Amino acid sequence: MSSSSSPSTHPQSRNPRPGFIGVAVAAGSLLLLSSCSVANSEPSTGTSSADLVRIVLSQEPPTLEPCEANLTSTGVVVRSNITEPLVERNPTTGDLDPLLATDWEATGDTEWTFTLRDDVTFQDGTPFNAEAAAFAIDRAVNSDLGCNVEGYVFGDDDLVVTAVDETTLTVSTVSPDPILPLRLSFVEIVPPSTDTAAKVREPVGTGPYAVKQWDAGTKLTLERNADYWGDAPAYAEAEYQWRAEGTVRAAMVTSGEADLAMGLGADDGAGDLGLDYPNNETVALRLTAEIPPLDDIRVRQAINYAIDKQGITDSLYQGAHIPAAQLVPEGIVGHNPDLEVWEFDVAAATALVDEARADGVPVDEKITMVARNAQFPKVSEMSQVLQEQLTQIGLNVELKMVDTTQHLQYQLRPFVTNEGPIALLIQHGNQAGDAAFSVEQYMTTTGAQSVFGTPEFDTMLTEASVLTGDERETAYQDIFAYQNEEIVQFAFIAHQTGVIGKAATVDYTPNSSSGDELRLAEITPAG
Amino acid sequence: MWTFLRRRIISSALPLIVVIVGVFALARLTGNPASLYLPLNATEQMRTDFTERNGFDDPLLVQMANYFGGVLRLDFGVSLRTGEPAGEMVLRAFPATLQLAGVTMLLAVVLAVIVGSWAALKPNGIVDRISSFASMAAASIPDFWLAIMGIWVFAITLGWVPTSGVDSPTSWLLPIAVLLMRPFGVLVQIVRGAMVTSLSEPYIKLARSKGASEVRVVSRHALRNAAAPALTVAGDLAVGLINGAVVVESIFGWPGIGKLMIDSILQRDFAVLQAAVLLTAVSIFALNILIDLGYALLDARVRPSDRARKRRVTPAAAQERKLNVQPTR
Repeated sequence: MSSSSSPSTHPQSRNPRPGFIGVAVAAGSLLLLSSCSVANSEPSTGTSSADLVRIVLSQEPPTLEPCEANLTSTGVVVRSNITEPLVERNPTTGDLDPLLATDWEATGDTEWTFTLRDDVTFQDGTPFNAEAAAFAIDRAVNSDLGCNVEGYVFGDDDLVVTAVDETTLTVSTVSPDPILPLRLSFVEIVPPSTDTAAKVREPVGTGPYAVKQWDAGTKLTLERNADYWGDAPAYAEAEYQWRAEGTVRAAMVTSGEADLAMGLGADDGAGDLGLDYPNNETVALRLTAEIPPLDDIRVRQAINYAIDKQGITDSLYQGAHIPAAQLVPEGIVGHNPDLEVWEFDVAAATALVDEARADGVPVDEKITMVARNAQFPKVSEMSQVLQEQLTQIGLNVELKMVDTTQHLQYQLRPFVTNEGPIALLIQHGNQAGDAAFSVEQYMTTTGAQSVFGTPEFDTMLTEASVLTGDERETAYQDIFAYQNEEIVQFAFIAHQTGVIGKAATVDYTPNSSSGDELRLAEITPAG
Repeated sequence: MWTFLRRRIISSALPLIVVIVGVFALARLTGNPASLYLPLNATEQMRTDFTERNGFDDPLLVQMANYFGGVLRLDFGVSLRTGEPAGEMVLRAFPATLQLAGVTMLLAVVLAVIVGSWAALKPNGIVDRISSFASMAAASIPDFWLAIMGIWVFAITLGWVPTSGVDSPTSWLLPIAVLLMRPFGVLVQIVRGAMVTSLSEPYIKLARSKGASEVRVVSRHALRNAAAPALTVAGDLAVGLINGAVVVESIFGWPGIGKLMIDSILQRDFAVLQAAVLLTAVSIFALNILIDLGYALLDARVRPSDRARKRRVTPAAAQERKLNVQPTR
């Protein structure tokens, strides 16, 4: 017997290819079909119109928590749009304007009394009154939330806040504080229903706009507050998007996709639609004045002489920046208009270095110039120019570009101490409008960002901080002059200007606060 | 097949744990992120409070134990930057990257197969030379430059597409076109080379001699054998896209995981970074398993073996199935 089988009786072999191909085609089709919209995104309401203003930022706000509003990325959306403070600094005049408070006065050495509006409601319908104001100040300044505004404006000192009646609020400080109202301009008022145990992401305030929708990662839309106590803003809605690249932000304005683009550089391509404006930022080198050779004032003076400030601003910033003689620009209380910018004089600088060398100062010791990547436009180029200019006068300078976290190790106490003398490129912005906010951290012996001071200088700074009016202004002007003559901890480079891209569809005049606080009520349709 | 899958999943677990532990430890070696989240003039007490509030003062092993305990409860922590749950942020961003990566790879593969096959039909012919040059250029052009040029030409100058964003179907065109270049360029070379080899095999000559059309020869015979190396490379390229096309996402404002991951690294936002790495690693392992399955479908020689389950067909069973099997004696 033999077994046989014919091929025709064998089971058909399966061919998986059609199945595989079918799966692949189906998967691809699903992907393509799903691609009509990106996950978790909504289409923009989008074209230019009289009801919608479109703004493009450099980054998405990490949060809209009002007690973080001194952070640029948060404040640019929140401040004076969603929430409001009791008083508001006028960026043009420097004066404090009434907002939720109509009047204020010092009623004691350490006490201020505020008279509040009685016609304001929060966006959730609850009334604004002294109790609400007290709650908001207490939450921002005295609580354990760890609010950024607390650290930036008030430090460790708590406030005693009392609601005397519906429209009267007293605020007491530990020690006399003549600029308390200015400090309180950073405290955005929120209703008592606001969470005190955790920061909120979408706040309720009294401002002309409320949060309509936040598509995290994509866009944020505010809508006009119909019950706003003040003048209604022109636009019914404001839509914020964000693009990390300045050239793309500028392109959105030039192509009609946005009405305003923030944080542009001069070379980002906004063209005629780019508006320069003096922001409050100053760039300088901070010198570790207790480490040789920077402990010799002649070397620090030489560094000041060696930097061609006008050349830097002309070549890198098309002349838009202003060579600086001090840490704060014009418009800040304490700015000294009589201070001369250190002259660019290579010969004088070289002579000072040679003199120090002859006296045994180790001028050949390596100085590390530390700068932060992407801190501001053309920071790398500026750093390289500075290194070259300091090397020209006989110093041994090595450039070190670092990221934000590393830069902060050099910038803040406790400083890096095992790398020898450091020349740190800093960018300081005084959005508060008073020199106290700059000198306390940069010039006192124990200042958070100060590497050098003297007891005499500390005394000057302390005495100035309790003065008011013209006396205060004069005292801080003297402080900046003293810094340049006797301390020389810094080599100031330039007061910077910002660039905003503005489409022809809107009218808006940027000011020194625009980068930190873009007031939607000041934006109107063109014509 | 299920045995194979089970084995692959188990063997992927250890590398996954190593990745997570590695990222966790390396992130914390960068130090306390307090300075990034506190004002510059924050006092020492504020820094201490921040450190304690976020558990950064605990020993590393304690922090790691707390983290893994949270992962088992699907709690990936809270973002230092936004205050949102890290898992939510990552799960919100990942689908956008998957969409972009998926569509890009699909187009890249299809186009590369077409162009590579066409070029392979006549090696060193005009089509071959042009496609070689173009594909090498495509594989070499930096994403950043291409994206900016694309915006300048097609969005600003010609006005055909938006500059950026995700507002409309046309918003996809530039990001995909930019992202497509490198994988397309690489895959064309791979497909072309594999197809040249396949087309020179004897079975191709046999197929042609039997009268098969050129389309059938290429698609049904040569392409299948050329697919394996292309699949390997496509898998590698897809992994790169799943990690997040950071440059494209940053420039075009695409709300994907690449930019989220970079921002969380720069901001030392540990919870988000760890969640993003975990999700990305799981996806990559899943993708590798899919690639292995694809191999098995393409090539019977690498399929999981069924030898252990050879079947004897009894005469009675054969009769039932109407098989012509003679009973054994």
